[in-house]
Amino acid sequence: MLLGIDVGGTHTDAVVISLEGGVRILASCKVPTRHDALLSSVTEALETILGQVDPAGVTRLNLSTTLSTNAIVQGRTEDVGVLVSAGPGIDPHNFMPCRNFHVIDGSIDHRGNEVRALSPRQLSDAVDACRANEVRVYAAVSKFSTRNPRHENAIRRAVLQCREEADCEYADFVTSGHQLGGALNFPRRVATAYFNCAVWRLYNHFATAVERALADMGLGHVKVNMLKADGGTMPLTRSRRMPVQSIFSGPAASVMGIIALTDIFHDSVILDIGGTTTDIAVFADGAPLIEREGIAIGSHPTLVPALKVLSIGIGGDSVISVSEASGTVRVGPNRLGPSVCLGGGQPALTDALNATGACAVGDTAASRAALEALAAAHSMDATALARAAVDYATKTIHNATRDLVDEINSKPVYTIHELLEDKRVVPKKVYLMGGPANALKMPLFERFQLSTEVPAHSGVANAIGAALTRTTWELELFADTQRHVLFIPSLSYRENIPTSYGQRDAEKDAMNQLAMQLDSMGVFLRPEDAQITHSSSFTMVEDMEQVGRNIRVKSQVRPGVVATIREG
Amino acid sequence: MLKADKSLGIVFFPAFDWAISPTHPERQERLLYTQDQLREEGLFDIEGVTEHKPDVAAIEDVERVHFCFPEVSAVTTRSHLISAGGAMKAADLVMQGECDRAFAMVRPPGHHAMKVVHGARGFCNINIEAVMVEHIRETYGHRRVAIVDTDCHHGDGTQDVYWHDPDTLFISLHQDGRTLYPGSGFPHELGGPKAMGRTLNIPLPPNTSDEGFLMVMERVVLPILDDFKPDLIINSAGQDNHFTDPITDMNFSARGYAALSDMLKPDIAVLEGGYSIQGALPYINLGLCLAMAGVDYSLVREPNFSPELIRQDARTTAYIEELCRQLPALYFDPPPYNRKNDVRQGVISGNTLVRQRQIYYDTDGINETQRETLFLCDECRGLLKVETRADSGPQCLGVEIPVHACPDCRSRGYQIVEDAQLKGNARYIQLINRLDRDYLRVGF
Repeated sequence: MLLGIDVGGTHTDAVVISLEGGVRILASCKVPTRHDALLSSVTEALETILGQVDPAGVTRLNLSTTLSTNAIVQGRTEDVGVLVSAGPGIDPHNFMPCRNFHVIDGSIDHRGNEVRALSPRQLSDAVDACRANEVRVYAAVSKFSTRNPRHENAIRRAVLQCREEADCEYADFVTSGHQLGGALNFPRRVATAYFNCAVWRLYNHFATAVERALADMGLGHVKVNMLKADGGTMPLTRSRRMPVQSIFSGPAASVMGIIALTDIFHDSVILDIGGTTTDIAVFADGAPLIEREGIAIGSHPTLVPALKVLSIGIGGDSVISVSEASGTVRVGPNRLGPSVCLGGGQPALTDALNATGACAVGDTAASRAALEALAAAHSMDATALARAAVDYATKTIHNATRDLVDEINSKPVYTIHELLEDKRVVPKKVYLMGGPANALKMPLFERFQLSTEVPAHSGVANAIGAALTRTTWELELFADTQRHVLFIPSLSYRENIPTSYGQRDAEKDAMNQLAMQLDSMGVFLRPEDAQITHSSSFTMVEDMEQVGRNIRVKSQVRPGVVATIREG
Repeated sequence: MLKADKSLGIVFFPAFDWAISPTHPERQERLLYTQDQLREEGLFDIEGVTEHKPDVAAIEDVERVHFCFPEVSAVTTRSHLISAGGAMKAADLVMQGECDRAFAMVRPPGHHAMKVVHGARGFCNINIEAVMVEHIRETYGHRRVAIVDTDCHHGDGTQDVYWHDPDTLFISLHQDGRTLYPGSGFPHELGGPKAMGRTLNIPLPPNTSDEGFLMVMERVVLPILDDFKPDLIINSAGQDNHFTDPITDMNFSARGYAALSDMLKPDIAVLEGGYSIQGALPYINLGLCLAMAGVDYSLVREPNFSPELIRQDARTTAYIEELCRQLPALYFDPPPYNRKNDVRQGVISGNTLVRQRQIYYDTDGINETQRETLFLCDECRGLLKVETRADSGPQCLGVEIPVHACPDCRSRGYQIVEDAQLKGNARYIQLINRLDRDYLRVGF
């Protein structure tokens, strides 16, 4: 049996799914999320749901939590010492994420050649300054460290003064930029390494508490995975060094839920309409689209891979307002408590849907009365007001979706082949989930003029998505046959290669390393789930002579679900 | 986060699947390290800096500018059309107000492609700046345009395309033609009789460094631009003046390029040459992007850059100072057009100018002989006729009715095409009628 828990903004959802004799949902529950005590929400959900099944049969728990996201949003993070080596280029002080930020002279170029060594004096001064400020966690980041991590390794050594964190009396944790992945983007690497450190201690306390709680419930044997923003999971032990990857995993859970509950073949739009926001995701040929480089945390773009999800301020609890001047009816983007029908004070979208008869949530008479009062204040008809509010909501969602698709279709391409292929995303179907999904189905259908579907179980789709999401991993391999070196940044793996090393060798090695990585995490990789997502080989020429090849290969386990649930 | 002072649209098309030959300087690898550098610097995360995909130039976009023989598809590849389309896209971003400025970082380049095209010259097949400028004029109305070519090689193609056009100011800074391909670009090349002084060549001695380039910008280029008052400034941003460039002899630096761009303030820049793909291009392109976006570029420099090692000597400085003294007069007070008995520069007899030329296409190894006739008209800039033959093909004819053509020149243009069809010996005939936007091809 597989367990899935999604700690959401309002509710923590949990499901138990059996894969034996067809995929079935054995139990599900919703408990309120207590943001000040997330662990208690998780344990409450676990206790509720385990009362309905035999705990001994549970083999895996996939968990999605807002812990890291909230900590960052609320500023409950730890001071980080950020030590960078930038070399020439844009002034790195522009990307300073925190006060213990030190730029050390030194430079590595785009091929990975060390142009200038790190200044030992500046480095030791920076470490001393951080220690004086009682910093215990550090980010070591250098420009082009994904081609050569020499400077990051030197910073790490200077911080720890020994090999491992466990032996070190000065620091508890160091994030090295190159281990975050092979993507190029120094400012993002700085921000990602910073956030990884900033939530590290908090996250690890949570992870330890979850393990202890499971053990207490007799679930010590259960393998725990954390959901990532890219629609995959990572083993809990692995996530302890990569807590930043758990940020924004909420929207990913809902997208994976949709994948588990439906058969998507076409270009499609997924709308997860919640209380406060609507999350919009786009599928091309049945696969979710991802952020090209990584998600932004606050105003800091990072390298954290994520599904491409646009969040807009339209949800069931979005308040209805009427402009004094023009009489225009608007919905959102604010939420001022729940809708009137559920005990709130101001009429919201759900009240309008109640009034039009699209649904019957809570106290429908209260909805009607609140809308009539609002309508009277503006000399309007209540039914017309309700219709206008629903119209406004669907129009806003439709416009935002169209903008998102336009943005996706204007993404740059780098070869003639890609340009001529000219794959455009043209959505042919809309999938709805979330509270107001059923009520908004017809209005959205009229707006989009596309087949619109609300899958069964869409109420706990997030938890289903979490439960069924499989472990993903990706890695980038760089090979430079002139320098006779192969490097996989995220694994800090270096190997010597012969002059004859070619693109096919690199692809094979990338796949093998991927399989070995997953194997070391206890995950069996089905060959069909792994793929090469980028592969290029450039002949390098010097003085009219071919001197070697510059090879870049990226492989990944495709985000996906281990099984799907098809009903009705 | 960083915010751009001027919003900058970057059209990046490195054509990773196109090369002239495996070891040619103009090959797949050329923009690879530039891409790495721009990505690693996080350039596209700067607020106001955006990346766009190129358009693909249509046959008509090319035929608005060039006489291509035997036809456009025979002298271009898809890459050339995308490269030109990339420049057009950059122009659209600026003209439609989406960006304050735009940089088309595309390859293959184009500034050696002349009015008539039989093949590739200096790695260029079609003139991507000219295709872009005429796209602007056709789409957004006629504009006064200044093209400042900062490639190390003389922009002979662009000069040729705009030789007779008084509305286009073409200024080329380059390594002296006595020491470098294509061997042209001397101060006496000032444009045709209807556009004297609209072409200005600034040949700089080998080993000119930042000091010399910026002096020429300040003392020659900027005052002329101030006077010409263009609607648009375009930079043919060749980057082979760099001190590490393998095929030239200049000593310009990445920060110097950025400073030059900062002074010039081009609306649109289009990448041209530049073949030091590891040591120069990544840093120059970064510097140019930052300068165009109005972001601080003072920390951009090449690895191990030392200004002392590349400093120009006193003689060079003195020579350039003398150029700065003499050159502005060629624009502000051009000498009268007075060509006698020189068929290469053109001979005026009656109301026609006739130029006989031989042009060598070094990349493709083609020899072309050409007879160009400009009908000198008092009402408009004049009708242009080119009779051309490449050693590889038959006799061809090109006729261009310019944008503000008078009725006489217009009808004479059609008359020439008709006569040529009936009794001429041209195998292919192409008419460019910018007045009525009529583009005609015969015999193709």
